[in-house]
Amino acid sequence: MLKVKKTNFSRSIGVSLVVSASLISLTACDEPKVDASVFKSLEQCKKDPMMRASQCETSFKEARNQHAAVAPKYTSQADCQADFGEGKCERAPYRTSTGGSVFMPMMMGYMMGSMLGGRTSMMSQPLYRSAKNPGTFRTADNRSVGSKTGKTSVARSATSRPSFKSSTISRGGFGSSGRRFGSAAT
Amino acid sequence: MQRIPATQRVNLELAAREHGLEYVPGVGISGWDESAYYQFTLQQIEEDIEGTAEEIEDLCFQVVDRAINNEEVLKRLSIPEAFWDYIAQSWKDGEKNLLGRMDLSYNGNGPAKLLEYNADTPTTLYETAVFQWEWLEHALDKGLISENCDQLNDVHESLVGAFSNLNLRGLTHFSCNQEIEDDKGTLDYIEECAREAGIKSRSINMEEIGIDDEGRFTDLDNHNINTLVKLYPWEWLMAEKFGNHIPTSGVKFIEPPWKTILANKGLLPLLWGMFEGHPNLLPSFFEDDPSSGLLIDSGNYVRKPLLSRQGANIEIVENGEVLLKNDGPYADELHIVQGFEPLPEFEGRYPLVGCWMVASKPVGLCIREDDTLVTGTTAKVLPHVIHEEK
Repeated sequence: MLKVKKTNFSRSIGVSLVVSASLISLTACDEPKVDASVFKSLEQCKKDPMMRASQCETSFKEARNQHAAVAPKYTSQADCQADFGEGKCERAPYRTSTGGSVFMPMMMGYMMGSMLGGRTSMMSQPLYRSAKNPGTFRTADNRSVGSKTGKTSVARSATSRPSFKSSTISRGGFGSSGRRFGSAAT
Repeated sequence: MQRIPATQRVNLELAAREHGLEYVPGVGISGWDESAYYQFTLQQIEEDIEGTAEEIEDLCFQVVDRAINNEEVLKRLSIPEAFWDYIAQSWKDGEKNLLGRMDLSYNGNGPAKLLEYNADTPTTLYETAVFQWEWLEHALDKGLISENCDQLNDVHESLVGAFSNLNLRGLTHFSCNQEIEDDKGTLDYIEECAREAGIKSRSINMEEIGIDDEGRFTDLDNHNINTLVKLYPWEWLMAEKFGNHIPTSGVKFIEPPWKTILANKGLLPLLWGMFEGHPNLLPSFFEDDPSSGLLIDSGNYVRKPLLSRQGANIEIVENGEVLLKNDGPYADELHIVQGFEPLPEFEGRYPLVGCWMVASKPVGLCIREDDTLVTGTTAKVLPHVIHEEK
């Protein structure tokens, strides 16, 4: 059974692709809003009287753990800094297909999802700030969540789980000889 | 070396079921036969099998060392040029290998002769490592064999140990053509050994492997594949659609790329070219090499495609006449010719001695019998014992 899967490429974020500043654009404004909490640091969250320290820690950790996988990736530090600002990029724990370094913006905050549907555990994700619009937090998928910290409301689409910046563009490129010759056994 | 008749286990069907082996009522387990076993002396095992395998492995490494920098040789082996540097680099980086099985013609006397080296996708691993060992324990327990019998069989422990030594991090993927039960069974067992070594694993059908926008391979959850243990021949991978992405994919392959040189029947003429006259080697030549003329004129030779599996497209010529010719899908390959060294005959059966190499050490023995001189898909594994008179 051959499985060919094409994923949405519109975000164009990938290690081999240089992400230009033009990519940083606003999302639609007519979207429904949902409640969320945004913090620039774990400390800020802990100081918020509305938050429990344990909640802050759990969700910070969750966001931190996603950071390297979901952050936009660049093959050049200069390109990364052009989008996110001088000194605001770091080396990602990845290599390009030819062995080169990969860069990504530093995590500048995190967002905890709302308690919609009575969920007690909240989805959390890392946030970033662009060089052109440093007052606004945005998700790894480049959706603005505004500049307010603490309890706020954001476009629902911004709260969806950020994508891994590696997307399968096709499958089925291996296996044809096996179909032709049968067993690989020797 | 003796072939000794034995009583089959009464509960063979149950044993087969427990181990996921196919049982055909009235026939028995497909690919397995315990109505007899082969008995060796310790000296035969240590000197003629283990010693030979160690020696050949050393010669093979010398061949690889020379071949990786020799364009003419790589061309002769039909290895696509796009992979030459990649293969050479894997050797220079000392990428570790895991598994292989040397097939030897051996009759108990005199030097074993290397017929070929299944260095990339060897099977009958489970039968060797687990089922054969269980037979030994059962046979000892029931007194079917003398109590001072042993087996050359450290395959399982060696595999687990070898996986530990590979220092694999994160998730390791295991891939083959899962529709072939035999292949899947073998790979599942290898994966089990990896898990025993503490490795996190996931299996994926070969055709399900994806590629991302960075040219890296992905699994069905879009996780990047970093280490791939494959039971799928290198020459197939290299020729397929995603093949050209392999060198830049960043994937660590097991077996490593340099194994392509050893898994190719062209290894045999390369070995002969460097170590002509070695007691464990048979005269071998590329068919298009003028030197093959003398061997062909002798009228006693075997003709094999560079890349073929399970005895397909192998032709034996004895006294100038075609003794046996197997059909198969590999007729268009370049061929080698090799001096004819018939397998010994025991009661109308022709045992082929397979020596399992794990991380380049001889650790297990697998006897496969067929009723023809070419060991093919109808072959059955028979257990063996090492017996020392007290």
